[in-house]
Amino acid sequence: MTLFLSIVRRAFSVLLTLWGVSVIVFVVLRLLPGNAVTAAVGVSEGLLTKAQLAALNHYYGVGQPAIQQYFSWLHATLTGNLGISLVSREAVSALIGASLPVTLELAIVSMILGVLIGVGFGMWSGLHPGRWQDDVGQTVSVMGLAIPSFILGTVLVVILSTKFHYFPSSKTFAGLFTNPWLNIQQIIFPALVLSLGVGAAILRTTRAAVLEVSGLNFARTALGKGVSRSAFIWRHLFLNALTAVVTMSGIQLGYLLGGTVIIEQIFILPGMGRLLITSINNRDFPVVQSVTLIFAAGFVLVNLLVDVAYNVIDPRTRKR
Amino acid sequence: MSKISSEHVDVEGDVFATEEEVVRHRTWFQALWRSRNGRIGVIIVGLVLVGGILGIFNLTPYPPANQDPGAVLKGVSFGHVFGTDQFGRDVFSDALQGLGVSLEIAFLSVLIAGAIGSLLGIMAGFLGKWTSAVIMRFSDMMFAIPSILFALAIVTALGASVWDSSIAIGVGWIPIFVRVVRGPVLALRESDFVRAGKVLGFSRTRLLFRHILPSVAGVIAVQVSLALSWAILAEAGLSFLGLGPPPPVQSLGEMVSNSSSLASIAWWTLAGPSLVIVVAVIGFNFLGDGLRDAADPRTKTR
Repeated sequence: MTLFLSIVRRAFSVLLTLWGVSVIVFVVLRLLPGNAVTAAVGVSEGLLTKAQLAALNHYYGVGQPAIQQYFSWLHATLTGNLGISLVSREAVSALIGASLPVTLELAIVSMILGVLIGVGFGMWSGLHPGRWQDDVGQTVSVMGLAIPSFILGTVLVVILSTKFHYFPSSKTFAGLFTNPWLNIQQIIFPALVLSLGVGAAILRTTRAAVLEVSGLNFARTALGKGVSRSAFIWRHLFLNALTAVVTMSGIQLGYLLGGTVIIEQIFILPGMGRLLITSINNRDFPVVQSVTLIFAAGFVLVNLLVDVAYNVIDPRTRKR
Repeated sequence: MSKISSEHVDVEGDVFATEEEVVRHRTWFQALWRSRNGRIGVIIVGLVLVGGILGIFNLTPYPPANQDPGAVLKGVSFGHVFGTDQFGRDVFSDALQGLGVSLEIAFLSVLIAGAIGSLLGIMAGFLGKWTSAVIMRFSDMMFAIPSILFALAIVTALGASVWDSSIAIGVGWIPIFVRVVRGPVLALRESDFVRAGKVLGFSRTRLLFRHILPSVAGVIAVQVSLALSWAILAEAGLSFLGLGPPPPVQSLGEMVSNSSSLASIAWWTLAGPSLVIVVAVIGFNFLGDGLRDAADPRTKTR
């Protein structure tokens, strides 16, 4: 019963957060200065007569009071109608349907690489504190945190294309199922760039957790009992460090969603980020609004999953 | 009355100061300098600040954006430490000016985020249950939008002048200040010196600003430094995407973006601004770690 209640509470708070996000996105994009209508038509406001302006406002549904606008937008969004792009006149849901898989693939591959880098180097450096292995790990972590992905991405593109004449992203993007080999080549480099930043953060967390756990009594007891080294590392240290690693990975997945925006631009991947930037430059508000909302929803869901994962990983959190 | 409030730091813990506490009571700068991270951070951030200020006041080796047709695409030399670009502009001078712009935006945005976020965080920790619930819900909602997206959305709506970029970047960091500050305030509210203040009949405002705020200043300082490094990154990212301050101002991210097509024949045009960004970010990161070490002697690095 208590479990059921806690799930209901959790779901309620997720819904509340999503609702709040929709309000924030709406307020930021609709109510701040900048007229979407005249931007879409491509004329400045002063050139239109009052009647023309009113007709346009009515056509785009922005003439009503803000509250009414918000609820009609919310209603449309909830019923799956995300509106129509002001520029390409395509349905926003179709645009998103085409670009979401690309971003998801990029995010998942980067996350896998990031966890491998982070946990690998983190365990390695945490198991050898103060030795050269630790220095290697620390260097990777400082580099990963300080070198922004767009610099790394730009450098990688320059090196690949000029030194190796290899730039798979210049071909049109291949779907994962239509041309898997080209698809992997197009995804792997941007994913590597993104994974370094993610990996660095996970590395720090893993290292700190391993150091902390190995100082605890049970760890010493285990070693004293003569537990084999691999069993000690994976069953005693790793399992106990896992909660911290999962938390950090969840947080990083959120940043990753943001990071895809810039990386997709550099590697010309037709994902959500590229869609967002294109629509921002065109002041294509319906698209910007929906894309931001979907990114935020993704972030909220990831956090929910992290919370669920706690219960699975760490029995101590189940009791409350 | 004022005596009590000024001595509140000493009230916690033992009556007799141990040697460790004596160490803690040195000036904050000495405490910062004692940590390795802090020393590295102070030095790098110092250099970065000097560079940025030179850039802001146009005190660069060459006038920024000055085109010299006689020195087009020159490599790294003593005359041009970062080389020159396709118009014969000195990359180092331009990078310093770009650094100035980046720092202006970074400081402004962190000022916005820090002031609003810390205030909300203190209120959430100190005031009643309802205020706290409302503030925390709100900050959760803001937190749910990745901050770079927040910045993008606001830049779309507002524009991209120095002020607008600062608001865009700052707003996304508010919830982080709220979270980081609220925790210690919650703990402080139940501490003896605050309860003593309450018994003495101090007003809430006085308790907040004279007792609690000074005690969470360390936490805020750490966060300010980390936020600065993030803000520099975010600003560079935005201007890399072409959403930075409009010309003639050229920020570092824009320089990186402009040089990407040039880098195959003139690597220094990409390396220069990139190096400046990375150094600035590393500096503020180290400073943040150092401040954390200084504020909490337990986490001192080896």
